[in-house]
Amino acid sequence: MDNSIVISTPPHVKTKQTTKSIMLDVVIALFPCAICGLVYFGWQALMLELVAVASCVASEFVYFFIANKGFSNKCRDAKAVCLRWWKQFDLTSIVTGLILALILPPATAWYVVIIGSIFAIAVVKMFFGGTGKNLVNPAATGRVFAFLCFAAIAASTAYTAPNFGALMDVESSFVSSSATNLAGLLPSKGEPTSNLHILDLFLGTGVKGCIGETCKLAIIVGYIYLCVRNVIKWWQPLLFTAVFGLTAWLMGGFFYETYTLDIALFLPNILSGGVLFAAVFMFTDYVTSPKGVIGQIVYLIVSAIVLALLRYYTHIEVASFVILLMNLFIPYFDKFLIRKPFGFKREKVQKEGK
Amino acid sequence: MKAVKGKLYFGGIHPKGAKELSSSASLEFMPLPEVVTVSTSQSLGKPSTVIVEKGQAVKEGEIIAKADGAISSNVFASVSGTVTDIKEGVGAGGNRETYIVISRNSPDGATTEAEGGAFRFPPLDNPTAEEIKTRIFDCGIVGLGGAGFPTAVKVAPRTPVDTLILNGAECEPYLTCDHRLMLEKTDEIVRGARLIAKAIGVNSIIIGIEANKPDAIAKFEPYEDIKVVILKKQYPMGGEKQLIYVTTGRRVGLGKLPADSGVIVQNVATAYSVCEAVELGKPLYERVITVSGKAIAQPKNLWVRVGTSVKDIVEYCGGESEALKKAVLGGPMTGTAIANYDTYTHKTTSGILLLTAKEASADEPTPCLNCGKCADVCPMHLMPMNTAFYSAEGDFEAAAKYGNVSACIECGACEYICPARRPLIQAIRKTKAELRKLNQERK
Repeated sequence: MDNSIVISTPPHVKTKQTTKSIMLDVVIALFPCAICGLVYFGWQALMLELVAVASCVASEFVYFFIANKGFSNKCRDAKAVCLRWWKQFDLTSIVTGLILALILPPATAWYVVIIGSIFAIAVVKMFFGGTGKNLVNPAATGRVFAFLCFAAIAASTAYTAPNFGALMDVESSFVSSSATNLAGLLPSKGEPTSNLHILDLFLGTGVKGCIGETCKLAIIVGYIYLCVRNVIKWWQPLLFTAVFGLTAWLMGGFFYETYTLDIALFLPNILSGGVLFAAVFMFTDYVTSPKGVIGQIVYLIVSAIVLALLRYYTHIEVASFVILLMNLFIPYFDKFLIRKPFGFKREKVQKEGK
Repeated sequence: MKAVKGKLYFGGIHPKGAKELSSSASLEFMPLPEVVTVSTSQSLGKPSTVIVEKGQAVKEGEIIAKADGAISSNVFASVSGTVTDIKEGVGAGGNRETYIVISRNSPDGATTEAEGGAFRFPPLDNPTAEEIKTRIFDCGIVGLGGAGFPTAVKVAPRTPVDTLILNGAECEPYLTCDHRLMLEKTDEIVRGARLIAKAIGVNSIIIGIEANKPDAIAKFEPYEDIKVVILKKQYPMGGEKQLIYVTTGRRVGLGKLPADSGVIVQNVATAYSVCEAVELGKPLYERVITVSGKAIAQPKNLWVRVGTSVKDIVEYCGGESEALKKAVLGGPMTGTAIANYDTYTHKTTSGILLLTAKEASADEPTPCLNCGKCADVCPMHLMPMNTAFYSAEGDFEAAAKYGNVSACIECGACEYICPARRPLIQAIRKTKAELRKLNQERK
């Protein structure tokens, strides 16, 4: 026995999963979506993804460098600071950048992506203390920031048509009037709507939309990978989509002159826009979801209902806004919606006079 | 009785068993060590009072330290010889202990049990409940599962009890001592369980065994008066409160004892030593220890005398390999990491593990992600991340309040699962200690 042995409190064996491996798994799970973006929207989409990842990592590095006094003493400690940054680098900024690029329209200008990335990393994440300390989802906030600052990306011209046309002809008997093509824009009452088959919505063929949100098949592949690798809980996206679909379906009945509930309208609601992407990759984010199981269930249900209602009334894709809004309530979820300890018994109030 | 499946509970983890290293090694007797160093802190509660003097000759099995107070246990000489020293020292857990050093008389063991040199209480034939209780106290029997609660206190519950549960779960990875004992000493365990049941006046005996020990389950099935419950392979299945819930469906309240729910839990090894104490009159100074891990030459299950130094045991098992990274006294989930081999086994030591760097993760902690995995796996449904957060800020009262520290059983599941490698158990123990200090100051 020599001095290289380690002493610590128990447990002495630990799981193989680390923060880095989890983030790597998320990056891998996002790959199908990123590749679909390239296939559907061309090199421009891939360039946006690369720009977003690069600017996220760069802004994290620059912030770390400045905050750790890399510039003081005429950059004397620059090398040590760089090494420290590399040691603590846990791929979270890559995940943020990738998600941010995937929820932007393909015709977004490159400087918009850079500004969104800097805002997401520097202001939302690093100001609050880095990994694990941010209050709201960096990618969603970056998108909202870009969305509010540059009206162009909210306009329909930002959504270019994909390289593939619709595969299926829509038969006149098939009711898909509430199916959407633009990032989840729902048609208003009486408006003529473009009809799309569910299969087209699912594959994203002939659908205008954000880079990574269009192909639902790629998102589901990523979801299965995350579940298999035990990164997210399998029921979280399912619960979210089910509650969302149900609410949107009930609300969707109001589109018609007389209130109608057609079961065929259930799927188009879920498959349009960025709902699935948000359900799999954004509402399951560790940092910005409640810590306890009860909190997570309530959070997902409330978010799904809020998203469905807001979507119905605003007719725009509001998933990132809902994430931002619900993130602010998480401290309350963590405080009040926690499990009672095993064996907890509510103390019975003793009635006097007995 | 035919084995039945136990209930399930929320939480828990599924660590790699690593039991195959030693599960096929039969129990063997370790040769008597030249010197034993017996601590007087062998159980929960007060250390025992030393009643021997330096230079005094003692027989194997003779009492050398008497129980002090209600929660304490007698300590016995584990070899025949002379008391060469009574010294103060620091135990593996970091607390001060008094050690009694006994050197054997002759190297070839002239005073071993076979020659009638060992001290024995008179064997009891068909004893009454009172006699069994007295004998359990006299023989210094403590819970051999790990906590070391004196059995004499446990078998005298203040509330009516209707069930005795034998804990054969052995949910900790690596450890196989209870498994081997259940395979090789099945009848003694059952007889010991019947004696304990008689002492506390209950009829129903349940034994809980994890599903990864089908051979042990089959061994217990022929006994008609024992109900065998197969437990899912999950850690911490052998935690007292979890075991009671999965076998009987009863929930032990917070801050309550199992006896308040009408249940007494005893480890199988405890039942075995009760059997020996009553039928042979043998005090508790010997137990089975698993020596395992990838950094030891020959993993073994050994009968080891209390007070044997870790060095002797490691040498007997072929010594350590180069890759040793962590040496652990006890199981890998709750045991104590030791800095050197000058540590001595206690009645409660269930294993000695020499782990390689691959087995014992020694990664640096990274920032907490708030993933909530620790809360998901907590068998007590607590929020360990809150304790870690507030105790790091120095607010121990908030740490105790929001993390519910008082209910924590320190099983280590939260820290096992943490992807950021946060030292959660350390934070919880620190909070508990600080709270104790705060409460004392207030008095």
